[in-house]
Amino acid sequence: MSLPVLHTINQQHFWLSPTRVVFWEEEKILILSDTHFSKTGHFRKNGIAVPHDIYKEDLQNLFSQVSLFKPNTILIVGDLFHSTENKELDLFLKWRKDFSQIKFILVRGNHDILHETWYNKAEIEVVEGFYQVQDFVFVHDPADSVEYNKNCFIFSGHIHPGILIKGIAKQSLRFPCYYFSKNNCILPAFSKFSGIKIMKPKKTDTVYAISKDSVIKC
Amino acid sequence: MIDNTTIGYLIIKNWLSEKSFHPFDFQEATWKQIIAEESGLVNAPTGCGKTYAVFLGAVLQFINDHPKEYQDLKNNGLQLLWITPLRALAKDIGRAMEEAIQSLGMQWKVGIRNGDTSTSERAKQKKNIPEVLIITPESLHLLLTQKNYPDYFKTLRIIAVDEWHELLGSKRGVQTELAICRIIHCQKSLSINSFGEKKEAAAPKETLIWGISATIGNLEQAKEVLLAPLQKEGVIIKADIDKPIEVRTIIPNEIEKYPWAGHLGIKLAASLIPIIEASKTTLIFINTRGMSETWYQTLLNIAPQLAGAIALHHGSIEQELRLWVEDALHTQKLKAVVCTASLDLGVDFRPVDTVIQVGSPKGIARFLQRAGRSGHRPGEISKIYFLPTHSLELVESAALQEAIKQQSIESKEPMTACFDVLLQFLCTLAIGEGFHAASIYDEIKTTNCFADLSINEWNEILNHLVNGGNALQQYDEYKKVELVDGLYKITNRRMAMRHRMHIGTIVSDAMLKVKLMSGGFIGVIEEWFVSRINPGDTFTLAGRNVELIMIKEMDVIVKKSNSKKSIIPSWMGGRMSLTANLGQILRQSFTKAFDEDAPIELKSLRALFELQAELSIIPKEKELLIEQIEEKNQFHLLVYPFEGRQVHEAMSSILAYRLSKTTPISFSISMNDYGFELLSDQPIPLDDSNVLELFSGDNLLNDIQKSINSAEMAKRKFRDIAVIGGLIFQGNPGEKIKTKHLQSSAALLFKVFEEYDPNNILLRQAYNEVMSQQMDEVRLRLALDRIAKSKIKLQFPKKLTPLSFPIIVDGLNRNSLSSEKIEDRIKKMQEQLLH
Repeated sequence: MSLPVLHTINQQHFWLSPTRVVFWEEEKILILSDTHFSKTGHFRKNGIAVPHDIYKEDLQNLFSQVSLFKPNTILIVGDLFHSTENKELDLFLKWRKDFSQIKFILVRGNHDILHETWYNKAEIEVVEGFYQVQDFVFVHDPADSVEYNKNCFIFSGHIHPGILIKGIAKQSLRFPCYYFSKNNCILPAFSKFSGIKIMKPKKTDTVYAISKDSVIKC
Repeated sequence: MIDNTTIGYLIIKNWLSEKSFHPFDFQEATWKQIIAEESGLVNAPTGCGKTYAVFLGAVLQFINDHPKEYQDLKNNGLQLLWITPLRALAKDIGRAMEEAIQSLGMQWKVGIRNGDTSTSERAKQKKNIPEVLIITPESLHLLLTQKNYPDYFKTLRIIAVDEWHELLGSKRGVQTELAICRIIHCQKSLSINSFGEKKEAAAPKETLIWGISATIGNLEQAKEVLLAPLQKEGVIIKADIDKPIEVRTIIPNEIEKYPWAGHLGIKLAASLIPIIEASKTTLIFINTRGMSETWYQTLLNIAPQLAGAIALHHGSIEQELRLWVEDALHTQKLKAVVCTASLDLGVDFRPVDTVIQVGSPKGIARFLQRAGRSGHRPGEISKIYFLPTHSLELVESAALQEAIKQQSIESKEPMTACFDVLLQFLCTLAIGEGFHAASIYDEIKTTNCFADLSINEWNEILNHLVNGGNALQQYDEYKKVELVDGLYKITNRRMAMRHRMHIGTIVSDAMLKVKLMSGGFIGVIEEWFVSRINPGDTFTLAGRNVELIMIKEMDVIVKKSNSKKSIIPSWMGGRMSLTANLGQILRQSFTKAFDEDAPIELKSLRALFELQAELSIIPKEKELLIEQIEEKNQFHLLVYPFEGRQVHEAMSSILAYRLSKTTPISFSISMNDYGFELLSDQPIPLDDSNVLELFSGDNLLNDIQKSINSAEMAKRKFRDIAVIGGLIFQGNPGEKIKTKHLQSSAALLFKVFEEYDPNNILLRQAYNEVMSQQMDEVRLRLALDRIAKSKIKLQFPKKLTPLSFPIIVDGLNRNSLSSEKIEDRIKKMQEQLLH
C-alpha cells in the first residue's frame, strides 16, 4: 500500500490515507466518517446475502491504520453504525477492548440510533451536533442546523463524495474522494459497502481521488 | 379416431349455430384434441377467436363429464386456469367468457386475479373458487405462497397460456414455466396416496396444457418448452386464416444520395395528414419514447385541426392517462394515436383501420404484429404504411415485404439457467407449503429453463438461501430460508410479506415521478436525464412542456411552461437491433438494386445506388463489402455485414482488438444496423492478406473477453438479476425507515460481489447473460461463419459513399467533436460530397 498524502490547513498537518482515514499529526487524532459498521449484518439478518467479508475487512483496515498512526483519539464524524443492534457489533466490541487506551469520540449522525447504554458499554463518547478542536469543527451533515463558529474549518461526512474522471472515448471511472473547498472538507465514507455521490468540483476546490491503494490529487 | 360427436361437442355446435356463428376449422380441431385429452399449442393471429378455441374446449369437456347436470352444477372448483401476460387483457376476455357461460345456461364463475385485484376479492376467490381464473404469471406465483395451494388446483383440467410468444424468451416466461411445472407435479402427487400406491377410484384426470401463440419462427420449440413438465409431445394446431396485409411505403419526393438517419421522417410528417384524415382511426408507431414526443408535437403543429383528436401513448406516461387513451380508442373518439411498443400488445381496438410505422421496425414479427393492429375482423385487410426516416430504409421496406411473402419470421429463444428467477420461486414455495430439496430438484429439472441445472449449482442455490454464502459464523445472523425437519421454509412473517410484495417487481432503470406543483402526476423519467437538467429548464413529457422546479426525493416537481424551446427527454434502452432474419432479406434486397422488376422502393433509390456503384460496389447477397476511405488525414474502415447494431458492436470491438494486436493503433468506433466504422488517424493495416484471419471465428471467446468491457455490461445486467434474486428492496409502504437501511444500489452490490464473492451464482448469471444476450455469441458466431463463406470485396472509394455516410454521421453525433451545430455540419458535408 502506498503512503498517505499530506494536506496542510493553517499550518496543521493532515495525512490523507488511501484507506479513507485522515491523521491529524499535531493532535494525534485519527479522523474518519461513515463507517456504517454492521451494515452487512443488518442486510443479512433481513435475508439479503451480501458477502460477510466486507465487514471483516473494514475492521481490519481500521485496525491497521490505528497500528500505523498510533492515535490518542479516534474521531468518527457520524454514522459509526448502520442501524439497530445486531451480532456483528460484538465483533466491534471485542476489537474495541484491544484498544481501550484510545479515546473514541462519535459526532452523532443520522444512522447512529443505538441505545445510550450500548455506547457506554463500548466506551464511546457521543457528541451531539458538532465537536471542536482548535479552530476545527467536526459535523456530520453541515446542512443540519447546527450552531458552530462559522470561521472555523469544517470537516464533515454524510455525503460519501466521489469524483468522475473522464478518459478518452467515452470511458470514465468513479472514485471516492476527499473533497476540500475553501473552508471545509467532506470526508469519504470509510465503509467499502457504501455508494458514492459524484461531486462537481469548482476551480477553487481541491479533490483527492482514492484509487485502490493510493491517493491522487486531481 | 377422435370422437367429435360427444354430447358436449353437439351442445356447443348447436349453441353457436343458434347465434349463427360458424366455428373455424382450427377451433374445431382444438376441441377434438381437448376431448382426446391432448395438450398442445394453438397458433392463430389476434382477432380470430383463439380464446374460444381453448375456452370452449374446457366448457365442452365439462359438459361431457356431466352431460345431465352441467347447467346446474355450482362450485365445481377450478377448471380452467388462464395465464395472460397483460392485465389489460383480463377484463375483456373475462367478459366474453361470462357471456358465453350465461348464454349456455351454466353456473360457472369467472375470476380475475392480478395486481389490481382487491384483497376482499382475493379472499372471496379463496373461499369460493371460480371455475375459470384469469391470472398473470406474477399473481400465479403469489397464489403459490398460500398454504394449501395444492388443494386449489385439485380439480384443474386445463392450463391455458395466452400470448405465449410474448412470454417465451423473457424471465416472465421462466416464471410461467416454473408455476406450471409445480401445479402439474402437485396433481401427480395428489393422485398417489400416502402409501405410495395409486388411488384407484378418485384418480383425477391429468391436467392439459394449452398455449396460444402468434406465429414465430420456432413454434415447435415453443410447444416443447410449454409442455416440458408433462413430458408429452402434444400437437400444434395452426389456424390457416389468410389475413392479407397491405404495405404501402411513403416515398419522399426527393431522395438524398447521402442519407442521414433521424431527420427525414419529420420532413415527411405532412404526408401523414391525408392518411389520418381518410381513416377512421390511425395508430402511428414510433420506435422510441423520445421521438414519439417529437412526432406528437410536429403533427399538432402542421395540423392544428387535429388537436383533441390525437393522443400520445408510451410507457413513461402516467397510467391513468394511458388507460384513457386506450378507452378513447375503443369508443372511436380519437383520429390518431402516436405510440411506441406500448401498444404492440393488448386488446383489439376495433376502430383502428390504419397503422403507420415510422422508421425501421427492426424485425419482421414486430412489423406483422403492428400491421395486425388494424383490420381485426376476419376478412378485413390489415393496412400498414411505412415511413422511412432515411432513404436507405426504403430498402428495408422492400425487404419487409419480401419477408412477409417468404413468411420468414423470427424465433423467440427461451431463456435458460435463470438463477435469479429460481431463487425467487424457491422463496415463494418456502413461504407457502415449504419444499423438499430432492423432490423439487427433480421437478424443476423437467422444465426447459433448468433442464441442465447441475447438482453443484443446485447446492449453491440452497446454500445461498439457507446460509447466505460464506459468513463469519459466530457473528452471523443471516436468515431467510430455514431447514425444519427436512422442509425448507420461511417462517419470519415480515420477510414473507416483503417477498410477496416483491414478486412481480417491474424491473426498470431508476425512474422518477414527474408531478405538477399544482398537483397531478404526468409520467416518469429516468434518473440520468434529470441529473443533466437544472431548475428552470423546460422539457417535454406526455406532450406537455413543463419547467423543472426541484427534485424532492423520488419526485420531480414541475410547473407548466409556455416556453417554445424545450428538451425532449430520452429514455435508455430504446435502441433495438435489426434481427437476423430481416438482415438476411435485406442483403438479398440490395442484390436486386438494378433489377428491372425491382419494387418501387428500390427503383426510387436508383440515383443513390448509381453513386454507390460508381464509388464502390453494391454488395451482393454472398459478399461482404469493406470500404477503406482516406479523407483529410483520417482513415475510415467501413464493414457492411447487415447483421444489426448489436452484432456489429461486438464484431467491431473484436476487429479493433485484432488489428491493434498487429500494430499499435487506436480507433473510434461507430455503427448502425447495416455496418460499422473504425476510424483512425493512421492507415489501417487491413488488406487481402489478413482479412480472413481478422474475421475468423477462432479464439472468439478469448477475443471477446479481451476486447469488450464485459464487467461494465455485466453490471447493467446485474441490476435486473439483483432485484429478481431478492438482493434489492425497493421499499414498502408503511415500512419506510426500516427498509431505508436496507437499500443499496445494484452498482454497489455488483462491486461488492466482484471483490468479495466473485464466484457468486448471481454474478455468474450476469456474465452469462452478457455473453448470450448482449454479445449474442451464437449469432456472432453464425455471422462470422457466414462471412468466412462470403466473398470479401475490398474497395478504396475516393470519397464517402452513400452506404458509409449514415454510419459516419452516427459517429459524429455521439462523439460531438466540434461545437458547430451538428445539423449544420452534416449539411456542409453533404454539400461538399456532391460537388
